[in-house]
Amino acid sequence: MSKINAKLALVVDDSVMQCKVLSVLLKEEGYRVFTANDGARAVSMYIKYQPDLVLMDINMPVMNGYEATREIKALSKNSLCPLIFITSMDSDQAFIEAIEAGGDGILVRPFSPDVFKAKIKSIQRISDLYCQVKSLQLEQQKDAELAEQLMSRVIESRNYALDKIGIVKQPAALFSGDIQLTAACPDGNINVLLGDFTGHGLRSSVGAIPLSETFRAMTRKGFSLIDIVSQINRQLYQLLPADLFLSAAFVSLSVSEQSVFVFNAGLPEVYHYDAQGEIVEKISSDHPPLGVLPELLSDAQVEVRSVNDGERIILISDGIVEARNSVGDMYEYERFELAASDGIRAGKVIENIMASVQDFCENQPQEDDISIVDLPCSGWEQINRNLHRIDVPINDSYVFDSSVPPSWSWQLSLTGSRLRNTNTIPLVMSQISEIEGQAEHWQNLFTVMTELYVNALDHGVLQLSSDLKSSPEGFAEYFRERELRLARLEEGYVNLSIRYFAAENGGCVVVTIKDSGNGFDPEPFQLENDHEKLQALSGRGIGLVEQLCESLEYKEGGSLVEACYVWRND
Amino acid sequence: MSVTQHISDNCKEISIAIDERFDFSLHQQFRDAYIKCEEQGAQFVIDLSKTHYMDSSALGMILLLKDHAEKLSGNVIINRPTDAVNKILEIAQFHRLMTIER
Repeated sequence: MSKINAKLALVVDDSVMQCKVLSVLLKEEGYRVFTANDGARAVSMYIKYQPDLVLMDINMPVMNGYEATREIKALSKNSLCPLIFITSMDSDQAFIEAIEAGGDGILVRPFSPDVFKAKIKSIQRISDLYCQVKSLQLEQQKDAELAEQLMSRVIESRNYALDKIGIVKQPAALFSGDIQLTAACPDGNINVLLGDFTGHGLRSSVGAIPLSETFRAMTRKGFSLIDIVSQINRQLYQLLPADLFLSAAFVSLSVSEQSVFVFNAGLPEVYHYDAQGEIVEKISSDHPPLGVLPELLSDAQVEVRSVNDGERIILISDGIVEARNSVGDMYEYERFELAASDGIRAGKVIENIMASVQDFCENQPQEDDISIVDLPCSGWEQINRNLHRIDVPINDSYVFDSSVPPSWSWQLSLTGSRLRNTNTIPLVMSQISEIEGQAEHWQNLFTVMTELYVNALDHGVLQLSSDLKSSPEGFAEYFRERELRLARLEEGYVNLSIRYFAAENGGCVVVTIKDSGNGFDPEPFQLENDHEKLQALSGRGIGLVEQLCESLEYKEGGSLVEACYVWRND
Repeated sequence: MSVTQHISDNCKEISIAIDERFDFSLHQQFRDAYIKCEEQGAQFVIDLSKTHYMDSSALGMILLLKDHAEKLSGNVIINRPTDAVNKILEIAQFHRLMTIER
């Protein structure tokens, strides 16, 4: 064994003779040896040489062996430097005191050289094992921290409107099995998810990355909530083992329609509170958790509710209601509901709930992840403004010349039952970005096309009246009727065409949509007064489209619409 | 013993009774209670009449049993869940996946 790699031993004994005897035996075992003749010297040698093994006498001048051992053990908290007492004191008392001072073993004289060497070997074996476990643990800790950092960067850091949506994430372990996601749709709707993977720790967070990627990508592209949920279900079913699944509630807040869409698969009830802190409704789970079944159940459906100013949707996972106090009682739903009500009245929802949980549990260790998402249903206009930046009108010299053939054009005709497909506009948008690449202003175009397409389908093909929306139950009623008519739809068509004109520093997209309906009375659209006109148009959600487009024209009695969207690159 | 297993004479019905708590710590015991049964068309009955707490890993364990039963063209029945446990089964909508006998 080379001298450099040899293990270091420190022999402590006031008898020089004893030191020599032990040193010889240790050297035969391949150790390099230092000696000290009293406890105080032993401590300073220990600090200087950081040995791998200490042999300690009990009775010594200056500082005895027990005292020196206590100091050495205090210095070596994070490493196991085995320490063996070598003594002639053959009493129970000496043995007990030696172990209590921190010794790892005791060897009583007289002993043969072979017994001594065997003792050293056994203690070294334990110490090697300890080092191995320690370094594995350190490695695992490092990996876990790295993964956790990565995870929270991928997941939480990309959440939308965190200044407006209240989120609590209090994991029971380094990794949380709970996940909270928020994202904005192209049309300004807000999608929110609170999920709870089976168990907690690293095992339960492996699904978090595919989940957040799918949730965000599909939200960004404007897919409907039910499509996002079914895709996530399919993906988790394929990815995760049978006993790992995701209980989750999804909420999509439509700011313009003052409605929420809710899908609850395995989470506690979703709370709908009014501005005074009273519970309007609790929407309970009506679908097994995601990742359990290959496809969503055939009757899976999104709940639609109207929401008013000041109302909130609050999501929780079971960790909060199952939190226990020192006598083992659970926090339960009643306490949560009271704390949420008080919080809403005080204008501090999250703070109030968390303070109440803390008061209840005192300092009991947390068994499960605690999560809350508090989504206010109003006050989004300011925040969403950036989503629909209305660009300065492009300079007057730009004349759109319709006699020039477009750079490219694309069209799609959907008929009968194929109109049930809710993903038409994301499909069209992906065509555009396939050809022209990603651009921020496509979001405006998405809004324009969505509004026009939905009008063609709802009012043209399905013959739904906007008047339905004006009742207090409004949009929810409208949505149910729409689902009903869509499910029965056998005939009718919507034709959609896009012509793309490239210009020097911008471009123009002309969207034409023709439906099989009877059109509508164009009377309100010919009002002189711009304000009146916008008011009348708002019933068809056209106000925003008008603002976003260079021109908007209804033809053929209203069954054909042509919108011209123009942009300029700065 | 936190998991008690009883097999009928014709090996067609395996009943598994769980004690007070049904959580991850029973993972191995629960699996051992059914994994050796390879009888075609076997019926697995999980008796939860004494169980007062169940966590999501227990739900996962039941799903693993369901997989096993389906491979044998058999089925799983959850028997007499207590109120507390039934609430958890209800939130997870397990009655849509298997029979629950109250």
